[in-house]
Amino acid sequence: MKRRMKAGSAAMALALVVFACGDTAADTTTTTAAPAGTTTVAAETTAAPPETTAAPSGEPIVVGSTLSLTGAFGPTGVIHQIAGELFVDRLNEEGGLLGQPVEWDLRDDESVTDNVATLYEQLIGQDGVDLIIGPYATPNILAAMPIAERHGYVMPQHTAVLAPTLTYPCQFPAWSIGFEPNAFIPNQLADAMDSLGGAVETVALVTNQSGSAAFVTFGRPDVEEPAAQTIFPERGYEVVANIPYPPGNTEWDAIAAEVRQADPDLLMVNGLGVDANGLIEAMLALDGYRPPMIFALFPAPGPLLALGSSSGIEVLSVSIFEPNEAILADMEPSVTEIVDEFAERATAAGVPYTVFETQAAASWNAWEILVQGVEGAGSLDHQAICDYLHESGADLTFAGPVEFDESVNNFWDTNLGIKQIQDGDWVMVWPAERAAAELRGPSS
Amino acid sequence: MKGGKGWIPLAAIALSIGILPWLRELTGFPASYLVLLSAVLFWTAQATSWNILSGYSGYFSFGQGAFYGVGVYALAVLVGRHGQSWWLGLLLGGVAGLVLALVIGTIAFRLRSLRGEIFALLTLAIPFILSAIARVTDSIDGGQGIILPVPEYPDFFGPFQQFIFWLSGAVAVLALVIAYGMVETRYGWALFAIHDDEAVAEGLGVPTFRHKMIAIAANGLIAGLSGAVSALQVGFISPEGTFNLRVPLFVIVMSVLGGRLFWAGPAVGALYVVTLQNRLAGGFEGWSLIILGAVLVLLVLFAPEGIMARFVRRPWTIVAVAAGVLAALALYGEWGDPVSWFALALGSAAVVALLPAGTIAGRRTASPSSRLGSALADPGEPETSSPGIGKTLVEAGEVTRRFGGIHALRGVSMRLSEGELVGLVGPNGSGKTTLVNLLSGALRPTSGSITVDGVDIVDMAPHQIVHQGIARTYQIPRPFNSLTVKDNVVVAIMFGREPRGLAASRQAAAEYLALVGLSDLGDVRPGGINLHERQLLEMARAMATRPRILLLDEALAGLNPVEIDNAVAVVRRIHRSGVSIVLVEHLLRVVNQLATRIVVLDQGRLLAEGDPATVMQNPAVVSAYLGSEAHARRD
Amino acid sequence: MNVLQAGLAGALGGSLFALMALGLSLTWGFLKVINLAHFGLILLGSYLTFELATSTPLGPLNTLLVTIPVLCVLGAAIHLAYERFEVSELSSLLVSYGLLIILVQVVHNIWSADFRRMDASVNPYATRSISLGDLSFPLPTLLAAGFGLVLVVLVGTIINRTYAGRALRAFGQDREIASAFGIDHRLIGVVLAGVAGATAAIAGMLFALRGTITPDAAFEWVGLVFAIVILGGIGNVAGTFYAGLLVGAVSGVVASFWTPSHSPLVVFSMVVLALVFRPEGLFPRRAGRH
Repeated sequence: MKRRMKAGSAAMALALVVFACGDTAADTTTTTAAPAGTTTVAAETTAAPPETTAAPSGEPIVVGSTLSLTGAFGPTGVIHQIAGELFVDRLNEEGGLLGQPVEWDLRDDESVTDNVATLYEQLIGQDGVDLIIGPYATPNILAAMPIAERHGYVMPQHTAVLAPTLTYPCQFPAWSIGFEPNAFIPNQLADAMDSLGGAVETVALVTNQSGSAAFVTFGRPDVEEPAAQTIFPERGYEVVANIPYPPGNTEWDAIAAEVRQADPDLLMVNGLGVDANGLIEAMLALDGYRPPMIFALFPAPGPLLALGSSSGIEVLSVSIFEPNEAILADMEPSVTEIVDEFAERATAAGVPYTVFETQAAASWNAWEILVQGVEGAGSLDHQAICDYLHESGADLTFAGPVEFDESVNNFWDTNLGIKQIQDGDWVMVWPAERAAAELRGPSS
Repeated sequence: MKGGKGWIPLAAIALSIGILPWLRELTGFPASYLVLLSAVLFWTAQATSWNILSGYSGYFSFGQGAFYGVGVYALAVLVGRHGQSWWLGLLLGGVAGLVLALVIGTIAFRLRSLRGEIFALLTLAIPFILSAIARVTDSIDGGQGIILPVPEYPDFFGPFQQFIFWLSGAVAVLALVIAYGMVETRYGWALFAIHDDEAVAEGLGVPTFRHKMIAIAANGLIAGLSGAVSALQVGFISPEGTFNLRVPLFVIVMSVLGGRLFWAGPAVGALYVVTLQNRLAGGFEGWSLIILGAVLVLLVLFAPEGIMARFVRRPWTIVAVAAGVLAALALYGEWGDPVSWFALALGSAAVVALLPAGTIAGRRTASPSSRLGSALADPGEPETSSPGIGKTLVEAGEVTRRFGGIHALRGVSMRLSEGELVGLVGPNGSGKTTLVNLLSGALRPTSGSITVDGVDIVDMAPHQIVHQGIARTYQIPRPFNSLTVKDNVVVAIMFGREPRGLAASRQAAAEYLALVGLSDLGDVRPGGINLHERQLLEMARAMATRPRILLLDEALAGLNPVEIDNAVAVVRRIHRSGVSIVLVEHLLRVVNQLATRIVVLDQGRLLAEGDPATVMQNPAVVSAYLGSEAHARRD
Repeated sequence: MNVLQAGLAGALGGSLFALMALGLSLTWGFLKVINLAHFGLILLGSYLTFELATSTPLGPLNTLLVTIPVLCVLGAAIHLAYERFEVSELSSLLVSYGLLIILVQVVHNIWSADFRRMDASVNPYATRSISLGDLSFPLPTLLAAGFGLVLVVLVGTIINRTYAGRALRAFGQDREIASAFGIDHRLIGVVLAGVAGATAAIAGMLFALRGTITPDAAFEWVGLVFAIVILGGIGNVAGTFYAGLLVGAVSGVVASFWTPSHSPLVVFSMVVLALVFRPEGLFPRRAGRH
């Protein structure tokens, strides 16, 4: 008995000593070689065609991040993974960053918020990555941000919706949903509905009770602020149903029955993933019931497009970019290249919906913000990068020139718009000046 | 389950946690390792607290997420919504866990029909309810989650990660101290006894309800505190992120991998799982869950009793191998980082631990002849005559017990006086065992009264009746199988009529083993002794509660003639020591030989009573006995 | 009217979860194995249905011809492994959790993390319904209820009326005694685990029929399915089915009266109350014939 307890203590003491001593060795090893278990993207680029600009040389710059490759956020995580890998490959082909090759050390946070903080702490503290980029989904970003702030790392992030709470000055939103998405999104939708000349008078709100989606319907629970449930009545639309449901909900029949009972002109599904799919299918199963207009907030684009196309429902959703021909025609040819190459890689990865759209564009924006910040600062000094971005903003392929204003948590003027399923494709329809086609009203 | 010098590693852990941050400044120990260590400490606290209830007492809980979750939300609401200070949040987190535990315990442990399975399922449902409450209540969460600002804490704690490390460490040490302290005191032993056989534990004087409540309270308190610390660390709280399957499943995985029967087992499991997860997080895309799942499956299949159980067999070899691997990798220095070295050292330690070992210690078997001799021939004992009959000790008046429509006992009255050895006989189904169960409190009479030394015991719990001086044995022996023969007796001494501490009880145990002649088998587990020896153990254990009345329920059933003679000698010895005995027995030869008086039951009624010679001549007794025996044979 | 519609549709939806619960309940009740891997089998069933229906002309319902044998064998094989290593009830929970995460990752690696959905041309059932006056019954869950009913009658008859069934019940109550009476527990266990695997195939097919699938779905089923197993009584075939209908109906009605977020609150409070007051399940088995 005594023996084994002493053995335990001895083991522990030894472990402590080795950890302490091992550190000096670690400092040298981690900088000279890639840390064990890195997803080495740079390796693939050695086969890059020779005609590109001078091949990057020297030690690789390591960018660390997590994505939800498995778990609840997995379906979108994989899109950000493919987009990011494509970006890094193209970057290295074009000479890398500061003349050095870039490596992306990507880890799987398994959609578990607690893992995110631990992994970022490891990436920055333990493995000493040079730069970071944010994870996917609002809760994960909120978990990663304090770590970035503590270490003073610049953190471009793709998708956090709770704008007012993102107070770290060196976080840079890549999908600017506006500083007040709770007001912006309902108002933009109301604008679009106004244009239909009175075809829509009543609205039903169906809301996933998780951070970002519920924020748009209700605002924050402890703050009096405008949100969908107050904005629609103010704009003259009657809210005929307001139904919250828990995340991970799988039973849509009861909600479908409620909506059919309320019979709104517009159904606003502030949900995530395939929530809208589940609800629409359940409604269709009620004698083919369908509200005249349906808006889905953050849907998985592929399955909803498939359902909408096959059932002839012209669903609306938010978007910052759709590769519609009319839009591509106005952009640089490289955009078409990106879109095509993304589709190729997504197909190879076995992803069913291979279109480079909002999520991928957000990812691209984030990488561009990071790269332009570093190039602008001319170093890997985070304060310098952060200052440069605040001073000079960035020029984004999918959003044009943007500026970062600390007073609104760096949320630049949103380029958020509304897309609609038209003839089997997602098409930008609102606002009119950025639309690829006209918004279609309820077909009667 | 045994303790010993556990305070050495405990003090070492506490000391390392305390000085690590200073050590860190001296040696340049990177701060990021604090994150990994904080995770180990968080899971150590969670798994250890789970193990106090579920590992020690065997009440398997799926509800760890509930205790953890109320701790998380208590802090989140107080700090995030009401701007209170972090330490108040921590305090409330612990209290919330504690209160929830007491509520669940009060409901669950009061249920008469409660079995372990029901408890497990009950606890499974609680986190779902709490999650829904948090979601639909705006003043708690409302569904959007709570963002916590980085708390303001004294500069003394240094960087935030160090602050969290210390808090996690404090809670983990608290958990380990409680877990270890229990092993060294009555509290833990009561739980081990409950784990093996709750009814028997209660029947040996263990207040089982109170000890289960203590265990669940410890579980709730620690889990709540630890949850509150993790809320501070994570900074963003949501119902789906809090009340999910991760915490309840992981504490089970860690405790089982580490070893549920060891106080340090869950901590070892936490160390392994966290390190493995850390190493799998990068570079194993598409394989991490497959590897984790495979490791879990293999470990449970090949080391179901946990790593600690293997570790204790050859601790120095294992430590030496781990140290060797660690030192070699550190000296070579060309491969990986210290965490990888450490992970590899842990892995090699596990491999060495899992290599098949020789025979398991503690299961030695004495030769049969030497075993029996001791009890039979006890030359030092003077042949004194039976003690004289004294005042009335037990009085049962008009006791009736029904099971549904069936009368097991109908208005039976009997008394037992000091110095008596009453033989309780009657055909099968006559109500003998029911009477024993009523006297020992295992059952309550439908009507009638039972007093012990003038004290009414009808409404008493069995353990209180033990403290009134009644002890019993079971017809089919029910030893605590995970404890040694000696420790079976130790439990009875600790919780008997004159309770003693662990150390004193260990010393006193020899006396009772000698009384029944099991002195040589004290270190053997009950699985390694025969039926006769187990029945002797029943008697030793009952006697260890220092009873005034001993109820022997067919203590000689299934024995061969030699063994019967031996058992008779033991019973006689017990009787001579001044304990009154009620002997339920089929063998009339034995009863006639031992009893000072005989009570005959038939079909739940008292048929006859008196001295053996007279009663056995009673025609009614002869007819009831022989008639029913004859009937039984025809069947 | 609306509450009635929500309750009825909910009850039908509950029958799908009852089908998922059936296999779990069977192996738990009779073989003393808490087989979390069952959720992995259901997931695999969904994806196989998706794959076969989209890449062959079989049609979603006929995929059962392939998936039932496959999952039957897989379920039996997993049980054989449990038997071989003499896995206890507690250990089975951990081992099967390990198997579950392996199965989920395998599905993830084959079909990617993204959502999958059978096209309307392949799967005409998803949005169809049968109407009765103002009430509509969605076809996928109607099918689930139908399959559930057939399985309950079939499995119930086997367990209550046949020698194998009686042996099984004896085995569920006391392994050692049953073995002493010459009951070949190994064979019975394998057959039962195979049957549970077959129910996983059916449940998986119906889930794929309803709409979109992701690898993560397996974890989302756990809570509701366990609630149904407990309310129905562990090992009680008919009870599981009734419990599924009840849980679904209650969820639907609560969602209609309050909000869907209140449903888990009510359902799991029901579970707690049932455990406190009716620990043998809400639908106690009638005493079987011996």
